[in-house]
Amino acid sequence: MSLDQQGLLARLIRELVRLPGIGQKTAQRLAFHLLKTERAEALRLAEAIQAVRDGLAFCRQCRNIAEGELCEFCLDPKRDHSKILVVEEPSTLYAIERTGVFRGLYHVLLGSLSPLDGVGPSEIRAQDLADRLKEGGVEEVILATNPTIEGEATAIYLTKLLKPYGVRVSRIAYGIPVGMDLEYADEVTLMKSLEGRRDL
Amino acid sequence: MPLLKTPAITLKSRKWGEADRVVTFYTLRFGKLRGVARGARRIKSRFGSALEPFVCSDLNLFEKPNDPVYRVTQADIRESFARLREDLTLISAAARMVNLVAAVTAEGDPSPVIFETLLGGLRALSHGHDPTLTTLLFQIRLLGRTGFRPQTDHCAACGSTGEMTRADHPGRFSPEAGGLVCSTCARRHPDRCLPMSPGGVAFVQQALRLSPAVLTRLRASGQVLAEVEAAIESFVTIVAGKRLPPVDFLAAEGNPPVYGLGTIS
Repeated sequence: MSLDQQGLLARLIRELVRLPGIGQKTAQRLAFHLLKTERAEALRLAEAIQAVRDGLAFCRQCRNIAEGELCEFCLDPKRDHSKILVVEEPSTLYAIERTGVFRGLYHVLLGSLSPLDGVGPSEIRAQDLADRLKEGGVEEVILATNPTIEGEATAIYLTKLLKPYGVRVSRIAYGIPVGMDLEYADEVTLMKSLEGRRDL
Repeated sequence: MPLLKTPAITLKSRKWGEADRVVTFYTLRFGKLRGVARGARRIKSRFGSALEPFVCSDLNLFEKPNDPVYRVTQADIRESFARLREDLTLISAAARMVNLVAAVTAEGDPSPVIFETLLGGLRALSHGHDPTLTTLLFQIRLLGRTGFRPQTDHCAACGSTGEMTRADHPGRFSPEAGGLVCSTCARRHPDRCLPMSPGGVAFVQQALRLSPAVLTRLRASGQVLAEVEAAIESFVTIVAGKRLPPVDFLAAEGNPPVYGLGTIS
């Protein structure tokens, strides 16, 4: 049996290599670990993967990952339904949720506009967000797209799309990361942080 | 592993691995190249915004043996072109510029003229020149500097030097032949030729001939610009071997209407 050709173990390694950040050697290490571990433990991992694939879908309202038709945030009556925070990916949503500061609802674009690659508004289903505003009750939309060209293009586009609905459209602040030395900040970040300064 | 230093303009930047980026640059000294910037997506990355598209920076690179992808170790911003990030029209225009440079250049083939042309185009956009006109002029000039000069003084197909445009009879621009074609050649592929008036031909010739300092004074009517734009767009598609993302990418695919970019229903 050769690890890099055929056989059950080689098949597992090939599948593991397809995961992000996993190279051939790491895949081999993981595969041997799964062989050495208890059968029940290894099967729990397989079942968890299957359950995620079979049991999760995108929330009908915000396109976050959900176990039913609506995600946990859209179902929660204690959340502030007058604020919607827009993110590019579900992973960003959970990073913001970890802060514990935001108690409103979310909207996940599952991508961003890209003039460089020709990705337009229909591919991020921007109109879905506008449709949520048409239903009423929303007072503020907070745009938390990445501070990249794609994220900026998305924020500019959404601002123009959503402003006519009479809601406040805000953008998360740009600036210096906490714990960083100012002397190492690049010009654009410093310029944006000066523009976005606030009174104390 | 030699250390290389060069001014560079970022053409594209893609996520790679957990927190890295693979960045395509057009550099002054080494032409187009790709580099991996480790940790570039982390919040406290030393690269900051220096690797964002359109940014001109001083790069430090390590060349790895037998690997076409360099390792980016440092990037200090020369010109950030931050204004280009604040307007969708400007982003789209600059995106066309870098996309075209990426499409028509080969890796490791330096051309200071191409670098200066791109830098000049981004500067013109940043200084508030009309984005549509600036992008069109940039494309014509870049094609002229990369061996794809649109042919206007003789038939691009057969080489005959007869008169190809008259006031009462517009010339025929063949994107496949790379320029104006005579009536005999145009008759062979009438569906593949685009009309170009004497004004359009003069515009292309001036765009190629004028120095950058006076180029921004070049003007043309809407009709002339439209026919030159159509011809250059088709020619760029042939040269690039693929359809580049459209300059007006928001209007191109039947997107939801947007206030300020179209009409709100």
